[in-house]
Amino acid sequence: MNLANPQLASVLADVRRGMIPAHVYGDPEIFALERDRLFARSWVFLAHESEIPDPGDYVVRRVLADSFIVARDESGAVRVMFNMCLHRGMQVCRAEMGNASHFRCPYHAWTYRNDGRLTGVPFHEEAYGGEDGFPRQDQSLLPAPSMDTHNGLIFISLDAGAPPLRDYLGDFAFYLDFYTRQSPAGIELRGPQRWRVKANWKIGAENFAGDSYHTPYTHASVVDIGLFREPKASKRKEGALYVAGPGAGTTYKLPPGGDFASQLRYVGYPDAMIAAMAASWSARQRALVTDSGFMVSAATLFPNLSLVHNWPQVDDAGTVAPFISLRQWQPVSERETEVLSWFAVDAAAPEEFKRNSYKAYLMCFGSSGMFEQDDVENWVSITEMASGSMARRLSLNSRMGLSSAGQPIKPPLATFAGPGVAYQGFGEFNQRHWLSQWSDHLERQ
Amino acid sequence: MKPAPVKPLPYTDPAHQVAHQFLVEEAALLDAADYSGWLDLLCADIRYLMPVRVTTARGAGFDSHPSMAHFDEDMYALRKRVQRLATGYAWTEDPPSRTRHFVTNVRTFSRANAEFLVESAVLLFRSRGDTREADLISAGRTDLLRETSAGLRLARREICVDEAVLRTQNLAIFL
Repeated sequence: MNLANPQLASVLADVRRGMIPAHVYGDPEIFALERDRLFARSWVFLAHESEIPDPGDYVVRRVLADSFIVARDESGAVRVMFNMCLHRGMQVCRAEMGNASHFRCPYHAWTYRNDGRLTGVPFHEEAYGGEDGFPRQDQSLLPAPSMDTHNGLIFISLDAGAPPLRDYLGDFAFYLDFYTRQSPAGIELRGPQRWRVKANWKIGAENFAGDSYHTPYTHASVVDIGLFREPKASKRKEGALYVAGPGAGTTYKLPPGGDFASQLRYVGYPDAMIAAMAASWSARQRALVTDSGFMVSAATLFPNLSLVHNWPQVDDAGTVAPFISLRQWQPVSERETEVLSWFAVDAAAPEEFKRNSYKAYLMCFGSSGMFEQDDVENWVSITEMASGSMARRLSLNSRMGLSSAGQPIKPPLATFAGPGVAYQGFGEFNQRHWLSQWSDHLERQ
Repeated sequence: MKPAPVKPLPYTDPAHQVAHQFLVEEAALLDAADYSGWLDLLCADIRYLMPVRVTTARGAGFDSHPSMAHFDEDMYALRKRVQRLATGYAWTEDPPSRTRHFVTNVRTFSRANAEFLVESAVLLFRSRGDTREADLISAGRTDLLRETSAGLRLARREICVDEAVLRTQNLAIFL
């Protein structure tokens, strides 16, 4: 079931001029196109190497309906294998995490090593006449068509011809380091928390990409209770929004005049970690903090991996602790999304910092987080409204930051240290950037 | 927390009856959204924990995530959550959910130092708005109740939720 081409062309033309036909957030035909044209091609995040540190460790993750085993084999290599038995198609591994040298299908006991190779076929001689009837050699669970890693983040693409991951990440890799390479040790991921929300998957991805405009109102409650001082409108509109490669993100403006160490102390990092960051990040990355005076906050890597970095107060003594979260918006249907939300922390961070950072994460984001609670209420409501027939008559205005002639109402930041294009203040540049990539995918047969 | 002794107190034991009534009264406060009243039932050193459950092989030896929880709260964190719900900007609970905490399968175990270990099952029904299907959260709870001059108070709660993937939009509620 596909949209007729003229209809799709009209939807995409509207999207590209920043007027979003509301039904795209609740339309089964659009969802089918996303499955066939976007998720069948794009690089999609699955797991982080720290989740499977030892040989035999595995997690099971999905790309939409397709289940994959992400395992570290006996030689220490990361393998991503389609979780379907070669014989009758049973899901080979039905646990979501664990450690195993082999995976045995419960149906007829075909057995695979943790690198995917088929090693056991019961009654091979009697049933198949041995290698002649069924050559067991060289049989493996289907590997992911493309698999690659960056800073320990494991991505796959269902397209065997996908470009190298590093090429795909492009300029966004510069920003990814702020979240995933605070020291040479890299991050360790904990989780994920998993829960299902009755919301279209695009809404969260767009929100994290660049919606600094919602923060002062949607998240007014967390400012009110003194948990986090930055979301106030006065603070939020000083932040910069950037687009870079397939990603886009938001930042907060740091207090004026600080050097690298004092800015990171303001955000709550201990000196040992600041020294590691200074050594781990390039001069240009450090300049984003010092010369430009911005600290990364939420971001989205197209299509459905979002990141967040905030620094709330975690106790009555006034301790400010930053945290990092990665989250995936896993589409279930046009009206439902499984959220996978991980806590991430520099693996070399002091234990006390890890404790405070974990507490900060749990209070702010994830299934119980006080920020995230109010976001999801909005997104569920949008999805409900988008699923009726009146939504087909409404285009949502996503032109913030543009004049009627389509020109930015103010010039990009001339002195922004990071790659890509950045604007200070409110705007929907980032959401349009995300939607423009989405349009490109949906347009390609 | 140490494993529970094998035999719970008989239902006729007054200590069991007091513990059971504590849980029922607590559920009444939560369903009435009297969260400040609920905080008064907690010890200052409360630990309120809800691990993430995971699907693992029978022989794996664990079925909760070793390092991730939905809640891992002390009094500061719980007080912030309650303060937030009272701000007038906690949109996810405005309009509020209609909730019902069904508390059952209560087993009370005697402990030293004026403490009781109490296991219970809780089924939370949560209904929002007029078009959405209601959510159910089923969980087992292991509580440490402490005798104080003001009566029993909750010193620790571990919530063992029965789903690996929660089917509710958030945990803006307490279990």
